[in-house]
Amino acid sequence: MTPNGSLLLLAMILSPMLVGAADTNLLLPPKEAADHPNPSGPVPTEARRIALQTAGAFVNDGFRIRDGEWPISLSLGKPVFLEVTLFAGNSYWFVASSADPVSRLRVTVYDSAGTPQKGEQWKDGGKSSGDSAAAGVAPERSGKYYVGVELLESPRSGGVDCCLVYAYK
Amino acid sequence: MLKGRYLAILAFMAVCVHGAPVTMTAAQKESAVFLDALSVPSPGEVFSALNRSCRPNWATLVTTATAPVTTERAQLALAVGVLAADGYIAVEAKEGQQVKNVGREIMNVAKSLGVSQSLMGRGNSLIEFADNNDWDALADELEATENEVKSTMVGQKDRDLVTLTSSAAWLRGLEVATGVVLGSEDVRGASPLKQPELARRLYSQLELLPDRLKGSHLVSGVGQVLEEIATLLETTGLSKDQERENLRRIHEKAAGIVQSIMASAGSQSSPTPAITPEASKEKPPASASTPVSKP
Repeated sequence: MTPNGSLLLLAMILSPMLVGAADTNLLLPPKEAADHPNPSGPVPTEARRIALQTAGAFVNDGFRIRDGEWPISLSLGKPVFLEVTLFAGNSYWFVASSADPVSRLRVTVYDSAGTPQKGEQWKDGGKSSGDSAAAGVAPERSGKYYVGVELLESPRSGGVDCCLVYAYK
Repeated sequence: MLKGRYLAILAFMAVCVHGAPVTMTAAQKESAVFLDALSVPSPGEVFSALNRSCRPNWATLVTTATAPVTTERAQLALAVGVLAADGYIAVEAKEGQQVKNVGREIMNVAKSLGVSQSLMGRGNSLIEFADNNDWDALADELEATENEVKSTMVGQKDRDLVTLTSSAAWLRGLEVATGVVLGSEDVRGASPLKQPELARRLYSQLELLPDRLKGSHLVSGVGQVLEEIATLLETTGLSKDQERENLRRIHEKAAGIVQSIMASAGSQSSPTPAITPEASKEKPPASASTPVSKP
């Protein structure tokens, strides 16, 4: 076999492995907390910044962000809930963010009976520095609703600081 | 391509692993947090819903904002809420000068409350945005100003006053909204205003206030009105005429208490005249701070 032929054969053997390795990185467990640039843990104000930045995208669509936020410390398996008052005819986006990129959040809107509401779900797909999730609803009935925020994944043993904001139009 | 496939697998796995959201338990509902800044809707949200159902003529709803002359802190806190709602009306009407007036009145009240120090920047921003006709920024700044007054109250150990400001803002928004709906022939747009749980919640929060505040005739009046409005909002199965009568009573109760809030010490507040659909077509609904010409 010529040297060129050997190199080609080697490349053919290695390339699927390399491509596979690159793609399976997505399936590997999340990066350990110790590798995080801020091992002492993210600060709530950073979570707020990311939440407002994320919600800012909805402003381009005519949404107005409420001047208020809900700082939360989340633990795995322990969702937390906020009572809100929504109006039929308005549309809402509830955005929860954490400065911790290895966490995975979920936001769900429930009616006053506690039933999850159908609506849009949004995830940042790991594009930002932290993790953000959002739920969009256009309630058919005015009244009391609940917004649930839960931590789906986190390698941390303690709580993960998050922030919830919302926008309406 | 491969990445896309992996992402799809990941998404599927995420649903399998974490499962879809399930119905809340009674304990979870009980533990839900009620946060003044997010759980109480801003007047902007009320008016946004109203815009979709009624398309009000906001210019006719703008009122002359005048803060009450009083030394009673509870009344001043209530007045901030009413003024904030008036500011939103001026923003909806795109009346820059009126927004500036409201901003100035809020500053005056804040000064009387001793919380004006951190608000000077807000006042300047309101003027700047009004001069530039930046209505979205003005609405944001109004809410921020109201919240800054509230957070300064908290900082000065006057947390109890925050509930009063939120209650007054909601009552003023309800007064305007019911007035607009009453102006339509078929009371279109009434359903978005049905928020009995919120009225009850605000009432129960007022009940928790210390006796020194509950002793104020205005605070007890606001509590009583909230409870009565909650009961009226909870009434269901009404005919169209009964619905109109129900709304009229809600409007009168809200307008009456708002008028008392904005009345200066020593002045006598009079009850707001009832609205008829015919009259409201010609004229904006009776408002606490709007001079009402009697038919």
